[in-house]
Amino acid sequence: MTAADYVFWVFATATVVSGAVVVFARSLIYSAFALLFTFFGVAGLYVLLGADFLAATQLLIYVGGILVLLLFGVMLTHRIYDLKLRTEKTQLGPGLIVAAGIFIIFANAALITEWPTVGREPAPTTKEIGRLFLGEYLLAFEAASVLLLVALIGAAMIVRRKKDA
Amino acid sequence: MEEVLRSLGLFKPEIALTAGLLLVVIVDSIGGAWRNGAVRILSIATLAVALGYAVELQVAGAQGAIFSGMLTVDPLGSFFKIILVLASLLIITAFTFRAARELHGLGQGEFHALILALTLSNLLLAGANDIVMLYLALEMVSITSYVMVAYLKGDRMSNEASLKYLLFGAVSTGGMLYGLSLLYGLTGTTSLPGIREVLATGVPGPQLALYLATLLIVVGFGFKIAAVPFHFWCPDVYQGAATPVTALLSVAPKAAGFGIAVRFFFGTFAVPVTGTWDLSGVIDWQLLLVVISVATMTLGNVAALTQNNMKRLLAYSSIAHAGYILMGIVALSDVGARSLLIYLFAYLFMNLGAFLVVTLVHLHDGTFDLRDYPGLYRRAPLLTLAMGLFMLSLIGIPPLVGFLGKLYVFGAVINMGSGYYWYAAVGAVNAAIAGFYYLRVLKVMFIDAGNEDKPPLKLAFVDRAWLLFFAAANLLPVLFWSRIDEWARGAVVLYTGR
Amino acid sequence: MIGLSHYLIVSAALLSLGILGLLTRRNAVNVLMSIELILNSANVNLVAFSRFGAGNLDGQVFAVFVIVVAAAEVAVALAIVLTMYRLRRTPNLDDADILRG
Repeated sequence: MTAADYVFWVFATATVVSGAVVVFARSLIYSAFALLFTFFGVAGLYVLLGADFLAATQLLIYVGGILVLLLFGVMLTHRIYDLKLRTEKTQLGPGLIVAAGIFIIFANAALITEWPTVGREPAPTTKEIGRLFLGEYLLAFEAASVLLLVALIGAAMIVRRKKDA
Repeated sequence: MEEVLRSLGLFKPEIALTAGLLLVVIVDSIGGAWRNGAVRILSIATLAVALGYAVELQVAGAQGAIFSGMLTVDPLGSFFKIILVLASLLIITAFTFRAARELHGLGQGEFHALILALTLSNLLLAGANDIVMLYLALEMVSITSYVMVAYLKGDRMSNEASLKYLLFGAVSTGGMLYGLSLLYGLTGTTSLPGIREVLATGVPGPQLALYLATLLIVVGFGFKIAAVPFHFWCPDVYQGAATPVTALLSVAPKAAGFGIAVRFFFGTFAVPVTGTWDLSGVIDWQLLLVVISVATMTLGNVAALTQNNMKRLLAYSSIAHAGYILMGIVALSDVGARSLLIYLFAYLFMNLGAFLVVTLVHLHDGTFDLRDYPGLYRRAPLLTLAMGLFMLSLIGIPPLVGFLGKLYVFGAVINMGSGYYWYAAVGAVNAAIAGFYYLRVLKVMFIDAGNEDKPPLKLAFVDRAWLLFFAAANLLPVLFWSRIDEWARGAVVLYTGR
Repeated sequence: MIGLSHYLIVSAALLSLGILGLLTRRNAVNVLMSIELILNSANVNLVAFSRFGAGNLDGQVFAVFVIVVAAAEVAVALAIVLTMYRLRRTPNLDDADILRG
């Protein structure tokens, strides 16, 4: 097993184990921090796959933005329901069966399918992705900015307390 | 650069909407006493201009892939764009802030900006030619809808509905995304024509991944059109949202969802041959859609039978109609696509008319409950007669426009061959079942005794005018039957190139 | 040798965990986290296919857009959850019962 393989196993295990903690943890704060490790693990996997720009984006936006937002959400709404959590996992058994079934089906599909194997050698991607954003995917790039505008207006409007605009 | 400039020529409706959206945001932030009026005029103007451009595209029969294959313009897409822009325009003009009691006192600027953004997203979805654009546009439509449902932020029901809608929607599109990723893995490309080419020649080896991808993509579409079993969000969201928003949601995102479904299933998972399409690969998605369609019609109609809340009743009714529209997709032919277009066109006018009546009753009486509707014939004859037309149209009684829709859709299924006669029969039986609850509404409004102490409803002139407009829109199309047929025939041209 | 299948299995695991979270969790923020797991699993798929399968960067570009969409979604979701908390003092889905079904 080469060093790269070893690193893969470290990241893969970290990702899946923290994912499990996100799902099973009793406290919301534990879930949020486990999610942090999941995102880090995924970023590591991206690096191993040669997606350097994407790994940086993952860290900046998922960890630096989305996770922080989730933590705010958790902390601002934290107080009340902690007591209720214990009575909530009423469907763990059937849920586990369904999830296990899904895993088996998809993992099986992943293994038996003959995927095309063109592949590309890992190389710095930032320049190429930049070219794609302003070239082939220009419209999607611009549409995404409209999406962010709408989300901004929408979220601000929903949360705002004053009645008049 | 030249490609972008060329694309812009075919992109005019969307450009008008984007410009309008930005102007509305700016005008609203500038403030001032005339702000609300200005924003409304701006939105109406924007939508009118966009409608004009869309009609121009349709009439010119413009075709081609634009923006490097992100979008495709073709008569089919233009038809959908006309319906989508028209729906938003009718909502803003007929269901004003004055008429919608729920919206009184809330900010108008954001509302209009959101409607313009929703329309833009719908148009992008209807023309998407690449799975990246498809996912992005789908999520744009969804997120804008979530915000619009959450608009009544002081209302617990609205808040709850928007949260359920968001979580349910995010799960469905998340699953769809996984399916799209598998599709990318199998074909090596994100463009729909490219995917079609690969699928047409066949994917080597076990097909399990392709089945799973198809299934997940159907989940995504199913959520958007509220087909069973992805419909759970529909009644709650329709009930919790402000009625103009509900009316818009019942038509526009659903139509956009069908638009992209037609493009996907006809143009990607099937190969075009003159007049019909041939199934690509080995997945029998037709069977899957038949099952979903039957379940959707039946559940929608049966559940509506016991509803007393008008918004929930119309929610289940629209679920059932999605089932009928699916028949057009199952038919996998020119006739099928044509029937889908005509049904959506009819559905726009039937549904908006019904929702307008519900809004007006709520404005004057403050209730959405059918049990408060007795005596409306005495108190508001014009309104009740109009509702009569809309209910009969929804059942599919000739010569109303709803009948046209059902005729085409059943016809398309029968055209598939005797093996599918049972499917059309199920549709007909469902229409009969639906008759029960639509007629029940009419019975309560016309015949039931009650509310004798309430005074007659004084409808504003504008409201009366709009009721007459929708009534005419339900009655008159049958006079132009051949024109409509011709128009729809011309519209069933799918541009499947890169 | 670590290949495509290894990454696909990791993503399948994340997908199943996300679905498990959806089925068993009652708190809205928890459900949101499960949705993020699902989105990340799809992204891992896209990037893995980009590296081993398709050989182009379309998968990575797609993944960037997914991240953008996820950010917008979470922003709106938390705005709604915060409002829900203000209105009724609990983000528990089980207590969201004014609407039937």
